Amino acid sequence: MNDVMRNDHSLMTTMRTIMHIDADAFFASVEQGFNPLLRGKPVIVGGKAEQRGVVHTASYEARAKGIRTGMPLFKANALCPQAIFLKGNYEHYRAVSDVFQEVYLQYTPKVEFTSLDDAYLDLSGAMHLYPSVEYVAKAITDEVYRRVGVGLSVGVGTSKLIARIASDLKKPRGIVCIQPEKEKEFLAQLPVDCLPGIGRIAKDKLTDLHIFKIGELARLNKRIMEQLFGKNGIKMWELANCQDRREVTRKIIPRQLSRETSFEEDTSDMKIIKGTLQYLTERIAKKLREEGLVCRTLSVKLAYSDFKRHARSKSMSHPSNDGKEIYTHVDQIFEEIHLRRIRIRHVGVSASNIEPQHYQQFLFNEQTRQELLNGAIDEIRERFGFMALMPADTLELQRKYRMDSHGYILHNPALTR
Amino acid sequence: MTFEDIFETIEVITYFKDGKLRPLRFKWNGRVYKIRQLNGHWISHRGYNKQHHYSIISDSSDYFELQFDSSDFDWQVARVCLGG
Repeated sequence: MNDVMRNDHSLMTTMRTIMHIDADAFFASVEQGFNPLLRGKPVIVGGKAEQRGVVHTASYEARAKGIRTGMPLFKANALCPQAIFLKGNYEHYRAVSDVFQEVYLQYTPKVEFTSLDDAYLDLSGAMHLYPSVEYVAKAITDEVYRRVGVGLSVGVGTSKLIARIASDLKKPRGIVCIQPEKEKEFLAQLPVDCLPGIGRIAKDKLTDLHIFKIGELARLNKRIMEQLFGKNGIKMWELANCQDRREVTRKIIPRQLSRETSFEEDTSDMKIIKGTLQYLTERIAKKLREEGLVCRTLSVKLAYSDFKRHARSKSMSHPSNDGKEIYTHVDQIFEEIHLRRIRIRHVGVSASNIEPQHYQQFLFNEQTRQELLNGAIDEIRERFGFMALMPADTLELQRKYRMDSHGYILHNPALTR
Repeated sequence: MTFEDIFETIEVITYFKDGKLRPLRFKWNGRVYKIRQLNGHWISHRGYNKQHHYSIISDSSDYFELQFDSSDFDWQVARVCLGG
């Protein structure tokens, strides 16, 4: 593979130059960057060792001991008792992500953030300004490391797909550029599940056909892939053949917005369960309005104390970003679930089928009373913090959680955007 | 190494220059801590107000996170890591 990686000269400026930048073990790196006492030690972000919940991020020192993202905290503690467990601080990570953005925008205005620590940069129109793409990658990684102590891995190619895969090859703090003419060769030798859209089930299907590498998939007839996987099959085939024309766009519409939390102890208290669902819904609705989006489909997820999970979805007759309306549907979905006679440990709400809010509801496009009310609520929250105004039912949660201006300090909040 | 959330108001001697502030010493639990090393600074928002967070190492080699609220000029010890 080394012969297709290039480190000494730049990509042709006439071709697209896409850079993918990924922070290495982001949350743990931030903690280590801001606290020298943690450097060189195994750090696990996700919660305290004795808490329930899962590992969000593990530092490379912890990964060396076998700790992986998603592993239950108790298991991580058993594997690496000397690790330092931190619950994490979303506001801190967001502030660091703002520094990333500030640095990236010095090089190109075309930056697409896919998460707090993960971004694509389109340098196609800016390469005449710099000696080489490696120069840009090095300047970015050095500046970010100097300012916040977080290491970045960079991948460069002529498409998002190549850049993303390349950024994963030399972690941590690696810079990998793939020559345009070698991209197909580079892709061909990788396993099929490196392609986006190929999960465990699709991989199993391909394994049955003795297709293990992307190159083997690329040689298949496009129609076979279509028959196997429908529309997605065509996309997979195109990606396998390096046909990825996805643009780097500054704002992307998320496929799904979800908010979840585990309870500190399993509960069957309906006031707490419903209050939490309403609180999570309120946060989703606020996010939708902030981004100028509406959602059409809602899902409620539950996990019982025996770890069995249940999820149910439903679509609304029209898209919405109104917290009250969304919660009415969430509550309906929850009521339709035949709850087992067992306590609940985890709840979540997610919104999908998200689209921009540019539909016309009424002939003269007059604002409804509820829209005006939501506007006023958002303004008050903007000024005084999220907790300045809350639905009365969610106040029940004060019995269980401490709160700050950003909201309830949930037991195990999602630390992602 | 254990981290504790504290959020207690403290007195801080601060140096202001060029629109930036830098904590120098603080008094917590009756003891004065000299700030040996400033590891980093970040800002979070509380409504319209900014909260400045400072990650520091004291002369006792302990790690502290100090927090300055720009709305009421209040300093707090937000987090402490003892036994470093």
